[in-house]
Amino acid sequence: MERIDCLKLLAPMITDELVCIGIAGVNWEWRYLSKHEGNMTVGTLGHTLAVGTGMALSLPNRRVIVLESDGSSLADLPVLTTIGTYRPPNLKVFVFDNELYSGSRISDPTATAHNTDLERMAAGAGIPATATVRDVESFGVQARAAFAEPGVRYVVAKVGEGAAARKLPRPRIDYLETKYRFVRYIERTEGITVFPEQR
Amino acid sequence: MTPELAQRLVAGLKDAGINFVSYLPESRLSDIIPLIRDDPDFTMISTCHEGTAVTLACGAALVGKRTAVYCEATGFVQAMYNLQSMAMQFGLPVLFLISYTGSPGDKANSLSFSLWGRLLEAQIRTLGLQYRVLEDGHDLETRVSDMAWAAQFSKMPTCLLFTGEFTSFPGMLRRDRNTNATS
Repeated sequence: MERIDCLKLLAPMITDELVCIGIAGVNWEWRYLSKHEGNMTVGTLGHTLAVGTGMALSLPNRRVIVLESDGSSLADLPVLTTIGTYRPPNLKVFVFDNELYSGSRISDPTATAHNTDLERMAAGAGIPATATVRDVESFGVQARAAFAEPGVRYVVAKVGEGAAARKLPRPRIDYLETKYRFVRYIERTEGITVFPEQR
Repeated sequence: MTPELAQRLVAGLKDAGINFVSYLPESRLSDIIPLIRDDPDFTMISTCHEGTAVTLACGAALVGKRTAVYCEATGFVQAMYNLQSMAMQFGLPVLFLISYTGSPGDKANSLSFSLWGRLLEAQIRTLGLQYRVLEDGHDLETRVSDMAWAAQFSKMPTCLLFTGEFTSFPGMLRRDRNTNATS
């Protein structure tokens, strides 16, 4: 199963969801497929899941989709316990696990290539709905359930390396532009002011 | 910390518009935890890692919450990566409430804390963050509010450091220290 085939399935399902996107391949592929204003590219190792969790806990009326990788997930395992404790029902997590640090150029294996099982770690942290899928059809079942059913969900999608993502055009916007675009979208759709007026 | 100071600190946070607090508990300022947790105007999220607390706060700030992270000096070091690569990189306002463990007036100071106490202010200055050291309750509400708004206007983290004098956390008695020193 290739990551981009999962993302192609997921992209048309997005309407007003907030989408937090991780680092490297999943970022490049999602940004290539989706121009959704509610995309928030975190793009730094180990932060995407906690950013999405903070959003989900703060805006319980909005569904938050997190698109993460195995390497980045492994860099912030403590957040799993926070999710397991509070179980925000609007948080839907998809971890694309290629078992590699693909950004290392030499595709060094992550711990999931050996004995580490992210789904079992999530379940052990107290997340009630977890799954590991290995084909696009099963991914589709989980994706549709994430949109149809309430409750926090954590799905590990075992995928190939996805090295073709390296050939996709890279985003031209920086962290600040990403932030402001996302914040303006929140302000417009929630009718709130995120940053105060300047005096 | 006296109950009065704890109540004034939490009231100051509330007046400053803070409505999301993520934290990893410690001993010296912990009287504020039940006050925040039981107040419906706050969302309070416990974590098992201060770095996670920072990134959670960043996510909350992106969708309109006014955020604070409560930790001790060791936790500030633990959170350094998240502080720099999320809060500072993206320019997000987060008010740090830091129990100044290892500060000169910390009665519970020990080898476990003194290193962090010595380094804390230098680390904050190196990051270029605004901060204030609070040794007592003088004008507490205003000082909390000022630093919370400084975070909002600069879109950067700011820090309040609560010293041993402020927290008045009971540590070793003087005679015990003397006993240890001569034994």
